[in-house]
Amino acid sequence: MSNVRRFGMLLALLVTTALPAQSRDQRSAAVGMRAYVEQLVLPGSELEPAPGDMKSPVVVRVLKVWPHGNQLRYDLEWTGLEAGEYDLAKFLRRKDGAASDDLPKVAVVVTRTLPKQQMEPSEPAPSPAPRLDGYSRLQGIAGIAWAVGLLLILFVGRRRRRAAVAPPPPKPTLADRLRPLVEAVAGDRANSAAKAELERLLLAFWRARLDLQQQKAADAILTIKRHPEAGALLRQIEAWLHMPAPPARVDLSGLLAPYRTVTADDFAPLPAPGQTTAGKA
Amino acid sequence: MTAPEATTKPRFAETREFLDQIRTRVGKVVVGQDVVVERVLIALLTSGHLLLQGVPGLAKTLLVAAVSKTVDLAFARIQFTIDLLPSDIVGSEILDQKTHEFRTHKGPIFTNLLLADEINRAAPKVQSALLEAMQERRVTIGNQNYALPAPFLVIATQNPVEQAGTFELPEAQLDRFMLLHRLEYLTTEQEIEVLRRNAALGVRRDGKGAVARTEFDVLGDQAVGSSDRLVQAMEDVQQVYVSEAFLQHVVEIVNRTRRHPQLELGCSPRAGISLVKASRARALIHGRDYVLPEDLFALAEDVILHRVRLSYEAVAEGHTSQQVLQEILSEAAR
Repeated sequence: MSNVRRFGMLLALLVTTALPAQSRDQRSAAVGMRAYVEQLVLPGSELEPAPGDMKSPVVVRVLKVWPHGNQLRYDLEWTGLEAGEYDLAKFLRRKDGAASDDLPKVAVVVTRTLPKQQMEPSEPAPSPAPRLDGYSRLQGIAGIAWAVGLLLILFVGRRRRRAAVAPPPPKPTLADRLRPLVEAVAGDRANSAAKAELERLLLAFWRARLDLQQQKAADAILTIKRHPEAGALLRQIEAWLHMPAPPARVDLSGLLAPYRTVTADDFAPLPAPGQTTAGKA
Repeated sequence: MTAPEATTKPRFAETREFLDQIRTRVGKVVVGQDVVVERVLIALLTSGHLLLQGVPGLAKTLLVAAVSKTVDLAFARIQFTIDLLPSDIVGSEILDQKTHEFRTHKGPIFTNLLLADEINRAAPKVQSALLEAMQERRVTIGNQNYALPAPFLVIATQNPVEQAGTFELPEAQLDRFMLLHRLEYLTTEQEIEVLRRNAALGVRRDGKGAVARTEFDVLGDQAVGSSDRLVQAMEDVQQVYVSEAFLQHVVEIVNRTRRHPQLELGCSPRAGISLVKASRARALIHGRDYVLPEDLFALAEDVILHRVRLSYEAVAEGHTSQQVLQEILSEAAR
């Protein structure tokens, strides 16, 4: 070990032993609270707590004893059980049985925190017993409140929301979408997207007219092609739109003329054979 | 899109005759699967791949074998199982004991027509090995790349009812199949015809014994055309005219799948490409040199259904993909 380290350790030892320990000298405490009187030098032979009884106002414990010249030094712990002024020496006796009358007075004071006349903890404040009846009434009131709340949500909340949200504009019918496309194609103003939409709308028109909504799209188109009027129309539209070189010039104006004034009612299914035809197309 | 050149027109009639011969020859062996035969031809003509979904016993294997023999294509079949390895399909390098050198052993994927039976029974790494080869049309064995023969077509099958111990193909891999066709049971008349033909098969002498003849024994070895003829037909498909209006229809339908509230996943652009390719092949099979909306509607289920996924809410409400697609097609027609 180096000299420097050895010197450091010695210095630390000296500092810790040279400094006097902070001793407590508590001569006053409340009832039931522990207190300490330390480094107390008392003459004569060694002392110990005198045996007490349940009514002893102070309880003393000897924590440590050291020799102090021809006397002894004590650390005492004491607890007062009744308010008043006491001499801790009265609660000690000699271990060797000798008289302890020569001991100096070690005065302590036990203070009280409760009022003087109060010997026991306060009685708990009387409180009313919980209500045992009226459950049905409470249930009824809760039910009425719930129903009123529901009605408010249903009618008042909805009315406010309806007032706040403007009704959406009506969706254009298939007829509304078909007419301008027919006009655009007849006027040679339609691009490829418009021509494709026209074909889809004509298919939808005849699907509705022939009541083929429940059929698969692939089957429906074959059924439409077999229909004398719809099939002729569709084949010419296909020739115009899809064939690289149509066999003859397609008269679009004549072909689409019945669809220029088509209305939503015309999308209704055709009557069964034998019934009167109401459609225009 | 450009119109077909006038010089190709006469060949269209020849091609249609060739395709009709294939359908007739296959029809002699397989009863009542005209639509499936058409789908196989579409896949052949467009180099797309086909996934057949149906319960066992619907003559899927017989059908594919019949098509391969009719067009004189090399045919291989792999039964997918849980313990299949990628090298069982692709091939591997084997140490030759005599020369002490590695020799490449090519797997069954080196064929024209590959039947991947019950593809969903194999582990995902095997599925992805096959699907990678389908996409790139080449495989790697050791450090060497090998191109697959042309034409190369995978026809995979999966059973929709026995799902225990299977690995469902994820959407990204399903997208590699141009068509997913759902096989249905035969009609009563067709089923009676199957039984009648089967009863007339008889037995085949084999050495001193005999075995019962199957439909596979009926397959003739005489092909109606060579693979060169098939390549010509594939070229003719590319000459089929596609109008601007038809492209508008396709894009409209594909977009509707992406916007539909009951669909969580809509179609990819590949679906639109597949719709146009398949429609061109169908038009040629039906003797047209231009596509029509009826081609689109006829193929929509097979091209679109496996590429879309219903939302949880739609499934909970009991909707099916078929219903949603029909709604989309109806709306497309509105």
